[in-house]
This record gives sequence, C-alpha cells and structure tokens, in this order.
Amino acid sequence: MTRSSTQSLHAMLQVAGWIGLGLIAVAVSLSDFLASAPADATGIGPLLAPPSTLLHFGSDILGRDMLSETLHGLSATVRSALPATLVTLVAGALFGFVAARLPRALALSLRGFIGILASLPALLLAVLVIGLSARGWAAVAAGLSAAPFAFVRAFERARLQERATHSEYARATGISGATLLRRDLVYEFSDTILSAAARALAAVSIVLSTVSFLGFGAVPPHRDLGLMIAASKLYFLHAWWTAAFPAAALTILILFARLAAGLDEGERA
Amino acid sequence: MSEARQIVEVSELGVASSGVSELDNLSFKLAAGEALIVLGDAASGKDALLRVLDGTTRRSDEMSGTIQYGDGPALPAAKRGKPGIRVVYLAGAADAPLNPYTSVASQLARVLARRHGSPRASALAELRIALERFPAAPAFAALSGKPGELDAMDLTWALLAAAMAQAPDLLIADHAFADLTPTSIRTIVAALMQEQKRLGFALIYAARGLKTAAHLKGRMIVLRQGRVVEEGTFDKLASGQSHAYTRTLFKALPRPAEAAPARSATRGEPLLQVQALDLRSPKDIRSAKDGGPRTRDGISFELRRGAALALIGEEGSGRRALVRALLGLERVAGGRVVLDQVDMGILSAAMTSRLRRRIAFITGADDALDPRMTLWDVVDEPLRAHLRLPREMVAGHRETALKRVGLASHDGRRAVATLSPFDKRRLQVARAIVSAPFLAVIDEPLRGLDAFAQSIMTELLEDFRRQEGPAFLVITADVGVAQVLAEDAMFFKDRKVVERGPLRDILRNPKDEETRKMIEASLPASL
Repeated sequence: MTRSSTQSLHAMLQVAGWIGLGLIAVAVSLSDFLASAPADATGIGPLLAPPSTLLHFGSDILGRDMLSETLHGLSATVRSALPATLVTLVAGALFGFVAARLPRALALSLRGFIGILASLPALLLAVLVIGLSARGWAAVAAGLSAAPFAFVRAFERARLQERATHSEYARATGISGATLLRRDLVYEFSDTILSAAARALAAVSIVLSTVSFLGFGAVPPHRDLGLMIAASKLYFLHAWWTAAFPAAALTILILFARLAAGLDEGERA
Repeated sequence: MSEARQIVEVSELGVASSGVSELDNLSFKLAAGEALIVLGDAASGKDALLRVLDGTTRRSDEMSGTIQYGDGPALPAAKRGKPGIRVVYLAGAADAPLNPYTSVASQLARVLARRHGSPRASALAELRIALERFPAAPAFAALSGKPGELDAMDLTWALLAAAMAQAPDLLIADHAFADLTPTSIRTIVAALMQEQKRLGFALIYAARGLKTAAHLKGRMIVLRQGRVVEEGTFDKLASGQSHAYTRTLFKALPRPAEAAPARSATRGEPLLQVQALDLRSPKDIRSAKDGGPRTRDGISFELRRGAALALIGEEGSGRRALVRALLGLERVAGGRVVLDQVDMGILSAAMTSRLRRRIAFITGADDALDPRMTLWDVVDEPLRAHLRLPREMVAGHRETALKRVGLASHDGRRAVATLSPFDKRRLQVARAIVSAPFLAVIDEPLRGLDAFAQSIMTELLEDFRRQEGPAFLVITADVGVAQVLAEDAMFFKDRKVVERGPLRDILRNPKDEETRKMIEASLPASL
C-alpha cells in the first residue's frame, strides 16, 4: 500500500470516527426521547428477560429495560466525559504548550515531574484524586489522570518548534517568546485540538467507566455504563445481555473516539 | 579520425501529462563526450524530458516522437523498452533519494551492486576507487556517515563517484550542483569533465541557473513552457541572446561590474561597530591550554547606516558565526559589538531582543519561515508584535509590502509550507519591508532559485535597499551576488578575515590567493 493511499485510508477512518461521534452526540442529546422508559425505572418488564421483540435489549434483575438503561448510561458517561476532556485539554495540552515556553530550568523540571505522573497508571491517578477530593469529582479526576500524556505530547511538540530554524530566525529579529507561544496556540494547538479532544475523550471514557465499575465514580441512581457493567457482575453468566449491551456501547464510544483521533493511541488510559 | 559514437537521438519528442502539454517537438542528438545543458524553470518541460530519458515516466504521461539509444533502432518514446546503453541519473545533494538513517557508503554500494550484479564488498571497493580518483573528494571513511552528517559538497562527491563507478554511456545530471558554492561548482565540474574525457560518456545537465552552465560550457538549449526558445553554445548565448526570456536568464548571471557603486561604507553615521570580536566560544577557551591558539583572532570592522558589507567565504569559513555573535545569539570569548550606539554586551536579554526588532533576515534557507503560518500572518507578525498597530493599518502595510514583492494576488490564507522557494524568499522580503529595519542580514538570497527568479529577487533586494535604506550585511560564497548587493567586502577563510576593502578594488586586484580563486569561480573570465 502506498503512502498516499494509507493516508487517505486514515483520513476516511477519521471522518468515519467523527460521524460516529456525531451520531452518539445525537443519541445522547435525544436519549430521553429515544428511551422508552425513564432512567432507573424498574418493573418495565419481567426480571432478567432475554432480548425479544418487546424488549430489544432484554431486562435486568430489577426489570429495567436494558435498551433505555444503555441509552441513559451512555448519556451519563458522555456527559461526564465532556468536562473531563476539557480538563485534559486545558491542564494537559494547553499547559504543555505554555510550559515549553517557560524559562528552561522551570520548563524541564515541570516536564520531568509530569513525565513521572504520565508513567503511572491513569486509573490509579484518578482514584488518588477522587480519594483526596470527593466522589462527585470523578470527571475532574478522570481529566487530570489523562492530562499528563496530553501535557508531554504538547510539550514535546512545542519544544520541537522552539528548536526549529524558523524560531531562531524569529528570535534573531526580536520576536518575543510570547509571540512564539501565540504561534503555537494559533497554529499547533488549533490544528490539533480536535484530534487531541477525541484522544482525550477516549481516554477519560475508559477511566470514568473503570472508576465507576470499581465503585469510585457514578453514584446510583445516576448510572453510567461502568456502573451498569458492575451491577451485572452477579448474574451476567446466565444473563449476558445485562453486561454485553452497556459494554458494547462503551466500546463503540471509545472506538469512534480513537478513529476520530486518527487511530492515534496517545493519551492511553 | 573517426566520428564520435552517437549516444542518443531524440526526435520530435512531445510529452503531455493528464492532457496538459509539458514538452513539445524537441529534437537533439548527443554523441559520446558531448555535453548538453537544458536550461529552464520548473515549468519549462525539462523535468518531462528527464523523466522520459531516465525511464521514470508517470502513468498520466502521453508521449510522442522517437528516441534512439546508441546503435539501436529509433523507437517510439511511448513504447520504448530498456535502453541499450547505460543511462545513469545524478541527483543533487539536496534531492538525492537517500535514506537519512543509513550510511551513504552502504546505500551507494547497494545501488552499484544491483546495477552490476556484484557482491556488496566488491561494490564498496568500486565506490572507493571511483571516489579516490577525485583528489579534492573527501576520504572514503567520511561516507560511513549518514546523509545528514555530510555537507553538500562531500555528498555531491559521493554521488558523483557512484555515478562514475557505473561507467555510464549517458549521464543525466538533474541540478546536481545547483546548491554548491561557485568554488565548489568549479572544482566538481572540472572533475566531471576530466571523467567525461576518460570514460567518454555523453552528459545532459538540467539547470535552473547559469552558474554550472558557465563552467560546463557545452551546447545549450533554453526551454520555456515546453518549447525550445533558443539554442547554441554557452559562449554564443552569453555574448548575445535573441529571445527575451534568455536575456532575462543571462541577466542573473554575475559579471564583473562596470559601474562604480553608488554608495560607500566609509561615509555616514556608524550603525554597527565591531571591535576585536573573538569568535571562539568560552567553552573552546576553557578546553584549550592557555586559551588555545587564537585562530579566530579579533575581528574589527564598522558598518555605516545604509551601507552594505559582504561577508564572503565558503561554508564553515566563519561568516555565519560572526553574524550569530553580532546578534548575541551565541556567546563568544571576547570583543565588543556596538549596534545603533548601544553596547550589546551590557544589555539584558530583553533589551537585546528589543534592539533586534530593527534587524531583518532574508535567507536562502527554506525553513526560515514558520511553515504553519499563513502568508498574511508572516507579514503581519512584526507589525502586531512590535508596533501593536490597529488591524486596518496592519492590513494596509501588508497589502503594500505584498504588492511590492509580487505576492498580492496570492491567497493570504495559504500556509507557508505550500509556497514555492521563490515565493518564500519574496515573502521574507515583504516581512523585512514592513519591519522597517536599520540592518538587513541577507544570507545566500539566491540559493536554489532558477535564473529567472534570481533576476527578480536581485531586483527586489535592490529596491528594498533603495526605498527602506537599511544597511546590508550580505553573507555569500558568490562574489557575483556580493557585487550586486554590496560595496565593501570581507573575505573569510578558516574563520579568519583574509582580505577586506571596497569590493571593486578587490575584484580588480585580489591580494590573497583564496580570494582570487573565489573571484575566478564566481565570475568566470569568459564573461
């Protein structure tokens, strides 16, 4: 496969990712209309009923409609993931670009410290932040846990630009560090913000779902996909649909986010 | 005496790519030992000719006419198979298709081994023998470096040696020496011509400018928009051109000046005063006993407002090191630099940066401008960052500057990365115009441009100096360029100034042997 055809395939997959995320956004914003039952409404059908023409995704141990619950869970996950993504972008990517232009010693110290944070599992960082704050801070914790990767990536890009010949010519003609930072923000940050956001969305969705699964995240009755999977632990061996549909929804969300990011693993979680 | 063997005959060759004609009705014959220079810009059709001759045509190319190689039959250009002669392609150092992560020797040996069907060890030996035939070439051990570790001249020697080791019948050189300095071009062309005598190959040299052609002195065809507009020997065309396009191309060729320069650096208020500048870094001194030998002994000179001084020398001769030291971009062991009546040595970093706002750079380096920026932003940035002008005023200054350099019709939102080298160069001039500098550092401004673009670029720089009146500090290896842009010169060799003074006097009577060689290489006596 030639380089150009590989590039066009990547571009097509990226577009497919954004279309997928767009569809998810529509589903999330219309979840109250699309779902036949309100969130956490019990007794909609028989207990642990398998998927059928009446209950397309079956029902859980409390008789909740799994299709409605999956839509509400997806909505809860995305609504938590969006502010978390914003935290990652600001505390990671934006801070990384700014930090690279700080005085050298300070910049390298920051890079070293945040590099160590990036080497720790994001899940542990999130649990640590939740432990030090409160349960309601799960979104902020997830955003902060993915931020070190975004910081390191942005910092390295900015340092590369700083060492580039054009930056040296700019400095030789009196262009200040602040103006060079403006260039990074205008061009580098704005050019990469969409893919950085998609990467961050994938990462924080994984962290948020996992902390909810472990019991540190969403609090019932507001169930996100992680909490729904956790709730199905006791009976999913004989009622697979209780775990499979929320897991599939989470997988699709992460897959589309990864595709939109250009198949770039980046901020792994 | 028998007639030389015919190597290639091209008859009525036409090339159209995706329906657009690139080359039309071109015919020529070339015998062994002959050289043909194909001169033209990027859209002249010479690239299409080269594609056909070296067998790298595209699927979209439609060809007409015939090509006859050696004693073989004349075959339609569209249907020809493998030529019955050895055709070898020689690229320039900057365009050579080399892997940046592997040593030059191993890559070239691989090409030779494939070509000859011989083992790698034997190919390496052939490459070594071919390289050692050139007395001025680097040692074979230098080729163990990766392409980025060799300078342009050493890489060109390596590529030439690999080409010669293939014993070509027809050598196609594609701007192979365009990025070299005049002295290097002269040396390498002499070596090439010696090899041509020994091996008897025919040479086709595709040229954008005339610097290499002036030394090759072969038959020349001038192509414009796919058609031959003029042909003849180099000397014939140099003495008089019948076509306006050829006249423009030859106008860019440096010739010994006839008129005295209008200004002299000895008058006016001093802008830049350099006293005993020792270019060694503090680290150099610490690492050497007793401060080490003072090989770069203090350089002193003065540049007056509006004057122009050329720093002439080969790569690594110390010209750029001097400019970097002047601008405070590199710490040096000693000396004093006074710019605009201010001692740069006592200024803080912020104040130095403020002073540098009145300095402009125009350079032949294609990465001098941020590739991410848009055309408009490049011009706007100094106005916004230094003067904080309102948007309407910025737009007005930008418009005027872009008009002056001929870029006003370009889409202002285009990224610099998508511009041609000539457009990037003009954009640097536009940025310099709006900066209203008192000093412009002009570093090899014509490097890599075709003759037509060189001619326009020279006019733009002259106009810039005439209208804005900055002092020029011209860094170049080409005395011809220096002659057009500066009145005074300092010649550098091994990081020392070997000769200085009014350029016109030095051109008439060079005192240093190296200076004389550089002048001869830049301004061939035949011109």
